[in-house]
Amino acid sequence: MLSAETIVQSLASGLLMGLLYGLIAVGLALIFGLMDVVNFAHGEFLMTAMYATFGLAVLVGLDPLLSAPLVAAALFVFGALVYLGIVRFAMRAKKNIGMVQIFTTFGLAILMQGLAQFLFTPDYRSIANSWLGGKTLSVGDIFLPVPQLAGAVVSIATFGLLYFVINRTDFGRALEATREDAGAVALVGIDRNRVFAIGWGLGAALVGLAGAIMATFFYIYPDVGSSFALIAYVTVALGGFGSVFGAFAGGIIIGLVEAITAMILPPSLKSVGIYSVYLAVVFLRPRGLFGSI
Amino acid sequence: MTITRRDLLIGTAAIVTTASTGARAQPIQDVVIGVIYPFSGSSAQIGVDAKHAFNTAADIINNVYDLDLPLARSAGLPGLGGAKVRLVFADHQADPQKGRAEAERLITQEKVSAIIGTYQSAVAVTVSDTTERYQIPFLSADNSSPSLHRRGLKFYFRAGAHDEMFSAAMFDFFDALKKKGERIETLALFHEDTIFGTDSSNAQLKLAGERGYKVVANIKYRANSPSLTAEVQQLKAANADVLMPSSYTTDGILLVKTMGELGYKPKAMVAQDAGFAEKTLYDAVGDKLQGVISRGSFSLDLAAKRPMVGKVNDLFKVKSGKDFNDYSSRQFMGLIVLADAINRAKSTDGEKIRAALAATDMPGEQTIMPWKRVKFDENGQNNYADPVLLQWVGSKFVTIFPVQAAVAEAVWPMNKG
Repeated sequence: MLSAETIVQSLASGLLMGLLYGLIAVGLALIFGLMDVVNFAHGEFLMTAMYATFGLAVLVGLDPLLSAPLVAAALFVFGALVYLGIVRFAMRAKKNIGMVQIFTTFGLAILMQGLAQFLFTPDYRSIANSWLGGKTLSVGDIFLPVPQLAGAVVSIATFGLLYFVINRTDFGRALEATREDAGAVALVGIDRNRVFAIGWGLGAALVGLAGAIMATFFYIYPDVGSSFALIAYVTVALGGFGSVFGAFAGGIIIGLVEAITAMILPPSLKSVGIYSVYLAVVFLRPRGLFGSI
Repeated sequence: MTITRRDLLIGTAAIVTTASTGARAQPIQDVVIGVIYPFSGSSAQIGVDAKHAFNTAADIINNVYDLDLPLARSAGLPGLGGAKVRLVFADHQADPQKGRAEAERLITQEKVSAIIGTYQSAVAVTVSDTTERYQIPFLSADNSSPSLHRRGLKFYFRAGAHDEMFSAAMFDFFDALKKKGERIETLALFHEDTIFGTDSSNAQLKLAGERGYKVVANIKYRANSPSLTAEVQQLKAANADVLMPSSYTTDGILLVKTMGELGYKPKAMVAQDAGFAEKTLYDAVGDKLQGVISRGSFSLDLAAKRPMVGKVNDLFKVKSGKDFNDYSSRQFMGLIVLADAINRAKSTDGEKIRAALAATDMPGEQTIMPWKRVKFDENGQNNYADPVLLQWVGSKFVTIFPVQAAVAEAVWPMNKG
């Protein structure tokens, strides 16, 4: 029953999906790596980006491919504001700082979901016509959906750019220094708050980019973030908490494992594969594949 | 003056008498009915539409309308001195445990006389367990899992059809097509993993076996999956004569999009309603679904024969901006059936309402549905709720089966392979 063609098709689909999972998760990894805060509103950031893309497509007629940079920029501002307006204060807690952070971002998630339902109704939206949507590239008997293909290209390009920014720029060095010792960097004239705000902005912008691409092939509704956020948490834990490139590798692994599991087991059990790999990593290498803590 | 024990007794008695006469003079109490639906989470839109359907029904019950529906021509419930029906809405978020908790709250805090719900069959299980425990009737407005009425519950009632009845209609339709010379041999089942999808596919598997159809793929998937690529690949490889999905709206949209991306055009698609009855699904991917067939309980085509249906639909449309669909029509009718029983019970006592529901015998002409009548069997199931099959043509549903309700011939197959 398993032909070579089915296997190649499955692996190709898994790889494309995995690259997208990586792009969705990297913002989460970046923020965690920078300041040890898990953003529980990550899925809602994704949802906001998808609604923004949808809004631009419907109101202005802007194609998601063109609006992606705008959405990412808007999410950058939003992420930075979330840090400056909310998270900064949560980090001042003297006791139970972990709990305070969890409740803060979790509360933000519920607020954002509620607001989305209030403003946009819980109806399922989707972008009917876009340059990418609904198109498929076929190589032999293998079908590669163009939206996911674009997502994969954007994902690889983004990770390349991130690698450059983190390793080759002053900002990247400041980011790394703040991550290692947020107190000491003040002595050399780095404004901790500024770096954190930019970090949150960058994290949000990355998930914004993923949201804009996803809006071309996924339905949009207030709760859309939750199933992707769960995968993002697993991706980050698998790749190593805080490791940006761990998220890249983690995403690809999850995409492939999901595709392979669905080939062998009934598809309803495909997440079993993901969580088995995750459990194995947690047992054997608790800091994740590329983690440094 | 010293107060003796006797004085005190007489005095107390007098106060009690005044109090009770006073109570009698008070305005008539509202009849409170609990409505449990998903108002948040992934199927919140269902709850929003349901609220409009129930409010339309309550409006017709509480005010005077010249419609041939029970309780329309009177204000309130005449059997309870014109008492008004008041609805209390509760959100179960598609979670069976939240459904149980909300049912409990409605009964103990809000003092509801009956509960109606729930869209998801999985939630209907816990809600009806709770109502049974408190001896309060539960009207299952739009749940379709056959196992729901087979649990020996005394307080469970379902006016609509269940998935075995719906699936039987699908197979009757296949048999009729085969007689006309169409080739239908293989089926692919695609269903979500809660009680709705599982019961539906079990019913279809059984019918396929009995009537000699070969099931070449039976794919169960996790509801609200981020991707259905692997599932669609298997469907494509099986390439059955008919693809039969049992999916809620989110998965339905993703299924159709993924089929498009992977270049799979099913020869024919006959859906177990749910997502495939929702306008949003057709707004999103309707262009890829020309000729899809879904089972249903309701058809606006009925308005041609029964003008009352059109009038009620207009009332609903003013509130919701949508036409009645398979779900909102059953929700509307569910509340009418429930209120009719409370009216005949002349009481808000759970056991008396239950007895009145069990005695219900409402002719089909007094409903907005294509049903023969509303009459419950000993399990609380209405076996006279005839289903219809609808085909999506252009941008609306057309009734194609059974013959007595059909307004057009079915277009078959959907995609020429």
